[in-house]
Amino acid sequence: MAAIELDGLTKRYGDVLAVDGLDLEVQEGEIFGFLGPNGAGKSTTIDILLDFVRPTSGSATVMGLDAQADSLRVRERIGVLPDAFHVYDRLTGRQHLQFVVDSKNIGAESDIDDVIERVSIAEAADRKAGGYSKGMRQRLVLAMALLGDPELLILDEPSTGLDPNGARQMREIIRAENERGTTVFFSSHIMEQVEAICDRVAIINRGRLVAVDSIDGLRGQTETVTTLTIDAGGADAADAEAIRNRIYVTSAALEGDRMEVTLTRDGSKFAILKALDERGVEIRDFSIDESSLEDLFAEYTTERQEVPQ
Amino acid sequence: MSALAVAKKDFRDAVQSRALWALLAVFVVLSLVLTYSYVEFPQLVSPGTETTIGGLVFFTAGIVSLFVSLTAIVVCYKAIAGEREIGSVKLLLALPHRRRDVLAGKLLGRMAVLSLALAIGLAVGFGFAFAMLGSLDVLTVLLFLLATLLFTAVYVSVVVGISATTGSTSRATTLAIGFFVVFEFLWDVVPIGVVYVANGFALPQQMPDWTFLVMQVPPSTAYTAVLTSLLPEVAASLPTQTFAGAGIDAFYAVPEIGFVVLAFWLVVPLAVGYVRFSSADL
Repeated sequence: MAAIELDGLTKRYGDVLAVDGLDLEVQEGEIFGFLGPNGAGKSTTIDILLDFVRPTSGSATVMGLDAQADSLRVRERIGVLPDAFHVYDRLTGRQHLQFVVDSKNIGAESDIDDVIERVSIAEAADRKAGGYSKGMRQRLVLAMALLGDPELLILDEPSTGLDPNGARQMREIIRAENERGTTVFFSSHIMEQVEAICDRVAIINRGRLVAVDSIDGLRGQTETVTTLTIDAGGADAADAEAIRNRIYVTSAALEGDRMEVTLTRDGSKFAILKALDERGVEIRDFSIDESSLEDLFAEYTTERQEVPQ
Repeated sequence: MSALAVAKKDFRDAVQSRALWALLAVFVVLSLVLTYSYVEFPQLVSPGTETTIGGLVFFTAGIVSLFVSLTAIVVCYKAIAGEREIGSVKLLLALPHRRRDVLAGKLLGRMAVLSLALAIGLAVGFGFAFAMLGSLDVLTVLLFLLATLLFTAVYVSVVVGISATTGSTSRATTLAIGFFVVFEFLWDVVPIGVVYVANGFALPQQMPDWTFLVMQVPPSTAYTAVLTSLLPEVAASLPTQTFAGAGIDAFYAVPEIGFVVLAFWLVVPLAVGYVRFSSADL
């Protein structure tokens, strides 16, 4: 059974299509990254999963349950970190967690202490949440999501407001939860956060799905992955031409002594350097720039590629 | 169960409202000063009467109805609209609560907050009256409390209902204050206006009987009618009329009409709020 299944999901606000015919399946047990620039429709999609927002057409199911008709049962079984949430300023962290325990009819004091430990807010738990920093609020709401050991975690931009240390801790918690069998669905507009822990990734842009694949699969889809920049003393146009004609090379440009060569994944950088050396070019220095998923992400979300299935 | 969890959370939150306790302080002081002057100088407040507990009850009711309506607005206008505007409603509804449970929980929680404030205020007020008069009729006080609780529930329900219709606190404020101004301040002229229009833009010699019904619409008027119905002897002993239906010969011209009006206000705004809230995109 799929943890999340979207079928032609569409949400229209006036004449704006926030989500446009989204089809997606998230398997049980995986960490799934939901990636897209701000305003791409990520939060709207998540809001539909939680029944905050009703779809214009199409359907969404969570663990086999209809996200609209069966929303209550859905929300009994999931933990949520929403985006743009606000804590109750006049309640303490512990009172927030007590509210979750009361609402879900689960757990006990010991569970509250356990999640407080896991997100490292023990020293602030009895202070009013109105005085928390952005990062502490984020941790508190993550703790609320973790309470009661849900089957599915839905995290909307979980790293917002966290410092690098906090973001790393967030990743560790996500991994640990996943190892306990929890499916994790999280959205982000930063590829780097997704890349580090996701089994699979969906990229959406302007409400439409542009790619669904594993991280390696996504990497494989880009033609150009490596840029080799060489400080090549005495190189001329003929040298550049010779390099350009080699297999796996997509381009070679010379500007003064600086030669820039781009290769596909299978090309050997060493072979390029060796070939130049054999042509009598003096190689004084070189640098390598692997194209990152970040570039890929930018490519997908600006050039509007078709969906590769 | 779900509604109780929301109510508990909501009570803990709203009971910390500074505006609530500031209002309570003002009203306690006001009620002490007025009670003192009523007992010491009855002819100033209500000429030509003896000081009685019954008189004091209806006198207190006037202060209470102002306190309850104002505090209900201050404490409840943000109940739903505020949570929607800042986004804490996402924490609330990410948990397994139906929207009707949220509304019910809000109603219970804010009702409890207001009742607590009212209980403190009335305990001080009646305690003071007891000290000055030397006696209090327990049954009268209990019936007064009953009617006042009902009135409080009505105002909380109206304002929470208004709050549920919108995701904007400024609109909720406008609607709640608008309700108060129209029904508690301007309503006196409405029956006359209605008759004027119904009579072909002229005022008749005598007002038709049904204008009485229009007059009974404001919740505070209905509250006084309910008190009159629960404490008929006390009301009869007063020199001033507490109920305007006395001279009218119609089946509805009885003080019990107050219960009908309060029931209307208890249910209708909340139902409208629920319909709007349950279909809203948050």
